Amino acid sequence: MEALIQQYPWLDELLMGFLGLSWKHVVMWGIGALLIWLAAAKDYEPALLLPIGFGAILANIPHSSAISQVKGEEGFLFVLYNAGIGNELFPVLIFVAIGAMCDFAPLIRNPKVMLFAAAAQFGIFATAVAATFLGFSFEHAASIGIIGAADGPTTIYVASRFAVELLGPLSVAAYCYMSLVPVIQPPVIRAITTKAERQIRMGYENVEPVSQTTKFLFPIMIVLIAGMVAPISVALIGSLMFGNLLKESGVTENLSACAENELANLVTLLLGIVIGGTMSAERFLNYQVLLIMLLGAVAFVFDTAGGVFFAKLMNMFSKTKINPMIGACGISAFPMSGRVIAKMALKEDPSNFIIQHAIGVNVAGQVASVVAGGLVLALIPALAKL
Amino acid sequence: MNPATVKAMTMMVIALPTMFAVIAVFMLATTVLHKTFPAPPEEESGDEDED
Repeated sequence: MEALIQQYPWLDELLMGFLGLSWKHVVMWGIGALLIWLAAAKDYEPALLLPIGFGAILANIPHSSAISQVKGEEGFLFVLYNAGIGNELFPVLIFVAIGAMCDFAPLIRNPKVMLFAAAAQFGIFATAVAATFLGFSFEHAASIGIIGAADGPTTIYVASRFAVELLGPLSVAAYCYMSLVPVIQPPVIRAITTKAERQIRMGYENVEPVSQTTKFLFPIMIVLIAGMVAPISVALIGSLMFGNLLKESGVTENLSACAENELANLVTLLLGIVIGGTMSAERFLNYQVLLIMLLGAVAFVFDTAGGVFFAKLMNMFSKTKINPMIGACGISAFPMSGRVIAKMALKEDPSNFIIQHAIGVNVAGQVASVVAGGLVLALIPALAKL
Repeated sequence: MNPATVKAMTMMVIALPTMFAVIAVFMLATTVLHKTFPAPPEEESGDEDED
């Protein structure tokens, strides 16, 4: 073949795709196809997994022009990476969109639910410790732990700062496990609660309505407090709360609708395909990625257990009993986790409606995961110097 | 113990209590905000509809 190419140099140009192909590329096509299948056939986070899967295929065609980094011939995925992930813009824009979708009223009515959300972030830190036992550096371990925030944009934001080489697998793990919440959480909850606990009813007595003024001031207040504690988190919490302010102000309905729909769709599309574009065979097919996928599951299990055990702990000291299952909604997979727990409660007792409580904890999880992300962002550089 | 593990454990020991402290401040501030601006009677029905 080499002799033939020497004789006819144009053949090299024509056959470069075939000549550069290895089994690793084919495996990555399979992984891309699997993600597309999960999105299309199983409806697992289709808006993200489909673009990620297709991006992975584009990135694993030998000499793909989509990911070219040759000066003057940069591929569109490389350009988009620098424009939106390398500078952390896309995750921040996604947060504006999420903020515009969130209704914090259940959280404002019952601020105690934020405690469950804080407890449900335990998985982040436990997983980071576990990752160091498996040989990951501190920065990488902390970035892996952030999968436990159950919050894709936070994972991408932290990974793009401290584990850029793991960005692809970390993002895929975060979004895959978020979509697998209905599969992961129920067995964990059943294992650590009794049937009687799962049947605890939670009433809606003394539920005060929330004024529009409170809803309007809430995002500003949260930004000021979180920003003062961890200024590094202002980009994340600030964008989340900016989106919510657009929604609650009542005077920017067009902007709020744009953030909730057009912005969310456009950035999700770009984010997905760019992340897929980082999944080259060299980066993805290794033992580390297998460990990351495993640790991602560990993070979700620890999060769920952390929230449930905290609710059980509160029941020991409280007169009004809480259904401990709602502690599991403290992970930020919103609104899926809230719905899953509400369904579980209905399965245990068809007349037990805890959806509002569950969604309240779930919305609080959105805030707590960003606070946890901010603390990790602040602590990684500080502790890495030691 | 491996230095990375020590750092990860230090992060957990610092971050978890800090997060609970921040959340406690959020809770307090949210409660004060909610009490300061109660919903007028006419907003009640609208809010219930919304939920």
